Amino acid sequence: MLKIPQTSNTSYIISQLPTPTAFIDTDYNILLTSNKWKSIFSTNNQSYTSQSLFKVFPHLSPKWKMVLQNCFEGNPQPMGIHKANNINEEELWFEWSNAPWYDSDENIIGAIIQLNDITDSINNELELRKKDLLLQQQAEITKIGRWEYDLKDNNLTWCTTTKAIHEVPPHFIPNIENALFYYKEGHSRNAISMALFEAQDNGKAWSNLKLQITTANGNEKWVMSSGKPVYSKGDLVGLVGTFQDIHDQVEADIKSLNNEKLLRTLIDNLPVNVYIKDTESRKILVNKAECEFLGVDNPEDILGKSDFELYPEESAIKSREEDLMVMNTLKPVLSKETINIKLDGKETSFLSSKIPLLNDKGIAYGLVGISLDISKLKEKESELRNIINIASIQNKKLLNFAHIVSHNLRSHSANFSMLLNFLESEHDDEEKVRIIGMLSEASNNLLDTLDNLNDVISINTHTNIEKQKINLCDKVINVNQNLISYLFNNNASIKNNIPSNFIVKSVPSYLDNILTNFITNSVKYKDPSRKPLITLSAIKKNNYSILTIADNGLGIDLEKHGKKLFGMYKTFHEHKDAKGIGLYITKNQIDAMNGKVEVTSEVGKGTEFKIFFNDKD
Amino acid sequence: MTKISDITIIDDDAIMVFGLRKLISCTVDCNSIISYGNGLLAYDGIKKKLEQKAPIPQIIFLDINMPIMDGWEFLEAFIKLPISDKIRINIVTSSIDPFDKQQWEFYKNKSHHLITFNQKPIDRNTIEEITKIL
Repeated sequence: MLKIPQTSNTSYIISQLPTPTAFIDTDYNILLTSNKWKSIFSTNNQSYTSQSLFKVFPHLSPKWKMVLQNCFEGNPQPMGIHKANNINEEELWFEWSNAPWYDSDENIIGAIIQLNDITDSINNELELRKKDLLLQQQAEITKIGRWEYDLKDNNLTWCTTTKAIHEVPPHFIPNIENALFYYKEGHSRNAISMALFEAQDNGKAWSNLKLQITTANGNEKWVMSSGKPVYSKGDLVGLVGTFQDIHDQVEADIKSLNNEKLLRTLIDNLPVNVYIKDTESRKILVNKAECEFLGVDNPEDILGKSDFELYPEESAIKSREEDLMVMNTLKPVLSKETINIKLDGKETSFLSSKIPLLNDKGIAYGLVGISLDISKLKEKESELRNIINIASIQNKKLLNFAHIVSHNLRSHSANFSMLLNFLESEHDDEEKVRIIGMLSEASNNLLDTLDNLNDVISINTHTNIEKQKINLCDKVINVNQNLISYLFNNNASIKNNIPSNFIVKSVPSYLDNILTNFITNSVKYKDPSRKPLITLSAIKKNNYSILTIADNGLGIDLEKHGKKLFGMYKTFHEHKDAKGIGLYITKNQIDAMNGKVEVTSEVGKGTEFKIFFNDKD
Repeated sequence: MTKISDITIIDDDAIMVFGLRKLISCTVDCNSIISYGNGLLAYDGIKKKLEQKAPIPQIIFLDINMPIMDGWEFLEAFIKLPISDKIRINIVTSSIDPFDKQQWEFYKNKSHHLITFNQKPIDRNTIEEITKIL
C-alpha cells in the first residue's frame, strides 16, 4: 500500500498543526491527531488512533455521522458547538469544523476535523446573560428602567421596565419624539427637553430629575429621570440613562406633607393652648394660642425655652416636677384645674392636660400639653354661685316669712273660731259681752299683724328704691328732735359723736326708721338702775359707712338669743312694749340696701349695734 | 269627767288662754288651772313648786311662739327637771313649719313625758282627748 508511507510522512507535519486537529477515515476512525489534540484529550501521549470518533466522544450527536458523510462526499457542513472534557476533566467548549481529506489523487479518503476552543467566549456569554438577567430583575424590583439612545441611527431603546412604566406594550418601539411626548406638557416636558439639549450640545449629564409623565393609558405618574452622554473616541455617539417610577414615594411625600399641613393648621387654630416639650421641659412646638397667651408674635421667641424662662420660679418648679412625673410614670395628667401665673403676675385658670410622647421603645421623649383657658368660666361659675347663694338666702327668707304669715293668720283665725263657738253656746249675757269684747280685741290684733306684714312686704318688694346721699349727723339730730319728749320722759340722753360732714348712702325713710328703732330700743331695754345713755359714732371702712349705736341697757344673752335677735315676733325681755317686730323690719331695710348689721352685747352692761351702709351700691 | 289635780297653760296670747280655760273647765274636772305668759315664767313657777314639794301640774298646754323663752326652750329646760311622774304636755300651735314637727319628734323621743302635737283651733273633743291621763 502506498498510502501508509505517505501517511507517515505527512503525520509529522500534521502533529505540529497549531490547532487541535484530527484526521478520520470514512469509517470515522481517528487516524491522525495533532499534538495539540493529544495534549487536550489523551492521557499518556498515546494516541487513540484507529478508534472511532464516536467512541472517543460518546456524547457527540449521531446527526454528525450524516454531516461527516456529506463531508466524505465533498460537501462539508458546519458541525456547531459541542462541549468535551479534557484530560483534567475540565469542561471545554469547542467549535467543530470539518473539511474533506484528499489524497494525492484528489480522492476523498476521510475528513479533517478541527476544534476551536471557544470556552472563554462561551463563559463570557453566559456571564453576560446572567448579568442581563440580574439587571432585568433589579429593574423589575426597583422599578428602575434603562434606556439608550444611539445618536448615529437616531435609535432609542427602552428596557422592559421602562416600557412598563410608560404602560406601553413590550413590542412598542420608542423614538426620541414620542418619548418626549409622554412627559406632561409644561414644566416636565420643558425640563427633559432642556436636559437632552444640554447633554447633546454641552455633554452635560443630568440626574434625578423629578418629572411627571402621562402614560399610554392616560395615568399620571411621577418619574425620576437620569441620563448621560456616551463618547467613543472623543465623539458623542449617544446617551444612556435610567428611568424610575417614583410615583408612590412622591404621592406619599405629598400626602405626608399635606397631613403635616393639616395637623399644623388644626393645632394652630384650636382654641386651646398646645405645646410640645422635650425631656428637659423646653418647648419644641407651640401653637398660635400659646404664642398669644405668652404675648409673642413669633413662635421662635418661645421655642427652646423652659418654664423657668417663661414663668415665675415657683410655678416653673411645680410644672417641671409634673413634667418629670408624666414622663417617668408615662401616666398622663388629664383635665386638671390649674392656676397659671405669668411673669407679669397675671393669673389664668386652666384645664390642663399633659400627655407623654413615646418613642418606638416606649420611652418618653417629651410631652404634649393642652391647656384650656377657663378663667371666664370660673368667673361665671363664682358669679353663679353667688347668685345661687343669694337666691337660696332669699328663698329661705321667703319661706320663713310665709311660715310667719301663715302662723300669725292662723292663730288669729283660730281665736275667732274659738270665740264664735263660745258665743253660740253662751247663755250668760255678761259672758257674751266679755266674749264680744275679746272678738274686737282679736280683730284689732289681726289688723296690727296685717299692718306689720305689709311693712315687711313693702321693704322687700321695693328693693330698687333710690338711695340718696344723706348727712348722717344732721339726720341723727333730726330724729333726736322727734323723740325729744320720749327721751325726756325716760330720762335718756344721746351722745352724738358722728363727724358733722359724715355722708351715708341710704333710703331716707329707712334711715329714719333705723335710727328711731335702735334708739327707742335702747331706751326700751334700759337698765332701771342707771340713766340710759346712747352713744352714736361713725367711721368709713372698706366701702362701708359704719354707724355704731351703743347703750348702757340690759344687754342680751347673744349665745341664747343671737340667732333669733332679728327674727319676727321674737322678744327676749319681759317688757310690755316688746312686740318683736321693730328689729325685724330694721334688719329687712338694711338688707334691702345691701348693708349688714352686727351686734355685741353683755348682759347687765349694754348692747352695741354696728350698722353697715354700703357706699358702692 | 276625768278628775285632774292641776293643769298649766303656757301661752302669751290672752285670748287663747281665756279660750283654753273655758274649754278645759267645761270638759275636765280639775282643782286648778294656772297660766303663764311665756316659757321662762312657767319654768320658774314649776321649779319653785318642785322645791317647795308642792304638787306640780299633771297636764301642760304649751304654745311654741312666745317671747323671752319659747316652747322649745321651755321643753329643753323642763325635761331636765327631776320629775319622775309622766307629765302630759300638749303642744298647741298654729305653726305649719316642718321644723316644729321635727322638734316635736325630737323631744317626744328624748323624754319620758307624754308629748302631743296639736294644731289650732282646738275644739271640745280634742280637749277631751288630750286631757286623758293614763
